[in-house]
Amino acid sequence: MALTIKQQLSSPGGVLQFFVKHNTILIFVLLVIFSAIISDVFFTSVNLSNLLKQVSGIGIISIGMLLVILTGGIDLSVGSMVALLAVTFAILINLVILPVAILLTVVIGFGLGSVSGYLVAYQKMAPFVATLALMTIARGLGFIYSKGSPITFKTPGGEFMSNFANNSTLGVPNIAIVFFLIVIIAMAMLRYNVFGRLIIAIGSNEHASRLSGLKVNKYKFLVYAISGALAATAAIIVASRTNLGSPNMGMAWELDAIAAVVIGGASLNGGKGTAINTLMGVLILGLIGNILNLLNVPSYPQQVVKGAIIIFAVLLQRFETK
Amino acid sequence: MENSEQEYRVEMTGISKSFGVVSVLENVNLKVKPGEIHALLGENGAGKSTLVKILSGVHQKDSGKVTLDGVEINPKNTHDGQVLGISVVYQELSLVNDLSVAENIYLHKLGASKFWMNWKQLTKDAQELIDSLGFKINASAKVRSLSIVQKQVVEIAKALSEDTKVLVLDEPTTVFGPIDTQKLFDNLFRLKEKGISIIYISHHLDEIFKIADSVTVLRDGVDTGSMAVADTDTDGVIKLMIGRELKDLYPARHNEIGEVPIFEVKNLTARDTLVHDVSFSVHPGEVLGVAGLGGSGRTEMAKLIFGAHKKKSGTLFLNGKEIKTNTPVCAVKHKIGFVSEDRKEEGVFLPLSIRRNISVTNFNPISDKYGFIKIDNEYKKVLELIEKLNIKTPSSEIVVNNLSGGNQQKVALAKWLSIDSKVIIIDEPTRGVDVGAKIEIYNLINAVAQKGVGVVVISSDMPEIMGISDRILVMHKGTFYGELSKEKFSEENILRYSIGQTLKLEQLN
Repeated sequence: MALTIKQQLSSPGGVLQFFVKHNTILIFVLLVIFSAIISDVFFTSVNLSNLLKQVSGIGIISIGMLLVILTGGIDLSVGSMVALLAVTFAILINLVILPVAILLTVVIGFGLGSVSGYLVAYQKMAPFVATLALMTIARGLGFIYSKGSPITFKTPGGEFMSNFANNSTLGVPNIAIVFFLIVIIAMAMLRYNVFGRLIIAIGSNEHASRLSGLKVNKYKFLVYAISGALAATAAIIVASRTNLGSPNMGMAWELDAIAAVVIGGASLNGGKGTAINTLMGVLILGLIGNILNLLNVPSYPQQVVKGAIIIFAVLLQRFETK
Repeated sequence: MENSEQEYRVEMTGISKSFGVVSVLENVNLKVKPGEIHALLGENGAGKSTLVKILSGVHQKDSGKVTLDGVEINPKNTHDGQVLGISVVYQELSLVNDLSVAENIYLHKLGASKFWMNWKQLTKDAQELIDSLGFKINASAKVRSLSIVQKQVVEIAKALSEDTKVLVLDEPTTVFGPIDTQKLFDNLFRLKEKGISIIYISHHLDEIFKIADSVTVLRDGVDTGSMAVADTDTDGVIKLMIGRELKDLYPARHNEIGEVPIFEVKNLTARDTLVHDVSFSVHPGEVLGVAGLGGSGRTEMAKLIFGAHKKKSGTLFLNGKEIKTNTPVCAVKHKIGFVSEDRKEEGVFLPLSIRRNISVTNFNPISDKYGFIKIDNEYKKVLELIEKLNIKTPSSEIVVNNLSGGNQQKVALAKWLSIDSKVIIIDEPTRGVDVGAKIEIYNLINAVAQKGVGVVVISSDMPEIMGISDRILVMHKGTFYGELSKEKFSEENILRYSIGQTLKLEQLN
């Protein structure tokens, strides 16, 4: 055993080693180069800012998904939550002043996430089952409250949000800035905060966590609640982009979020994954969609390619563990 | 036994194996006669398991030669090995929880030959096999419902379900109490009579001297010698294993034991387990041993005190004040530590670094009020503990999975030393730990007690518990049946209490 430790330490560095270790970044870089070669429209600011706008919503819920997956759970409800919360935000923005509408939407998202969290952490329900139930409930509620049709923003607050969501600061779309900020906060929490340490510990060995006196239930509860709050943030962003809240929003986004987290090298068993790699996962998925659009590939083949990339990315990660 | 002089059943000569650049075995020889129990000894990481895995086909050798009954063999996988008649009982249980005992025993046959299985016959065969081993297990029971001892028996039955020529047992008795161990030995003697060659890996030297005919010792991937057991003794073997002489396995103890108990348990009864009416106290500076057979409720008692199991009644006192430990969180708040017997599942976080493992119990001294960790303080604290516990690692960032069993155990202990525990309950402190690390762990337990901590050590290893305890409580059927003071320590006395007997009269005086 002592020998294997030495081997680890003496393993050579270098560019190749770096990319084997961080192969998500490698895939990302390769895709960027490939895209730039294959399409001369790719590296235009219009296209790049479109790309960032498109991925920001899914990106934000992917960060929530990452937290849940780190504890060894899964949150299937986030896509439907985006729909329900976008509708909620659209209703609220027409009723109350903007800050209150934003705050209430996030609080409601946190509350809905808490329901999953309660069921998983305290009722010991399987995360898949609990969040599956929440998924259909949220989607249903979205249709009920919107009476099945989109609700448009009608107030100055709505206009402000719409401007914010569609404009850029220093060339970067505002909503992408929100997304990046969330990624940075998640990075800080996961790396330097007790919160991150504990959820990773819980995900890597729940038994040992309990027997180390960790508040396992509290942290499991919290990750679902936070995932709900992040779904609310994503909902506000996507609703603002289109100036309306619709119960059809966020369709199957939970699957894209899971895909992004997995492409980012996280383990569905928990305990492994980082925010920066999830960001890469989100960008990779977005890039694939973007380049296929530029090449005028219809949407069904796009899905096939997406799936293939997921398999490829996960297979590549095996090198890392060897 | 007939042709023992001329030929060996198994002959492994000049075996070398490396993983990547790491050389695990170098020019190792192992020769086992038919009808012989051959002990394979060595500290953790010495290469015992790798050698056995080459024999059974899990790993392929880089060079050397393996013969079975004089014919060179080259098993490419475990199936090849099985077909050749080489069966291995590994340390890690490899049973399928959701299948029945019979299905597990004949797992290799399922789907192998015919489309239809004769389940009745299969179950009957399995039952006969288990009965012949002298254990009581229902062959149609699901493996999930078995105790860990029973699972180990099923594992052994599985290895014997085929036409076995060579049986390899890797630490088979770690979960067994003395009675089950004796049963296993009787079986091994029976198999030996039948001419089966047995390769027996164990850290328990007393077992080796009880059952083995000859012994091969490995140290750092090199074999340091083979000999007949009759030609050597414990000290000789230990010298070969660790490369130096061993003065005392158990440290001398001169602890001052406090008058007033630091921790008292009164009439503790569990809601869901067999533990009932447990009362005892432990004094500061004392090492209290808890002995008993497997299944007597020792681990359950520890988990009950620690709050991992639910209590029905009973009270706990820490420094004379009543405390509640309804969850492990409460127990830790009162500075009670618990080191689980199941290191990999419940003790350490295998995929995480040593640093992350040690810090996890207590972030207060190393983080600010928003929970942000002061990395410098963390390193300082962790490196201190690594040094204090002599954890052998080049850095604090090594993943615990890459450490040897002994060093993993030290990491599990370090967690509780980092919170300045007042009471530490250690369940099987040295299970699967090599001799060198054992001594260090004993010294550590000693040092912890010296600081005024009340230490409770649960152990099935008789010499160990007698060597390190100041006092031994013996558990029987979920409660303490007897107490032994130091002058009454003997294997016989512990065993008598363990099976619910009284001590012999002359010893009571």
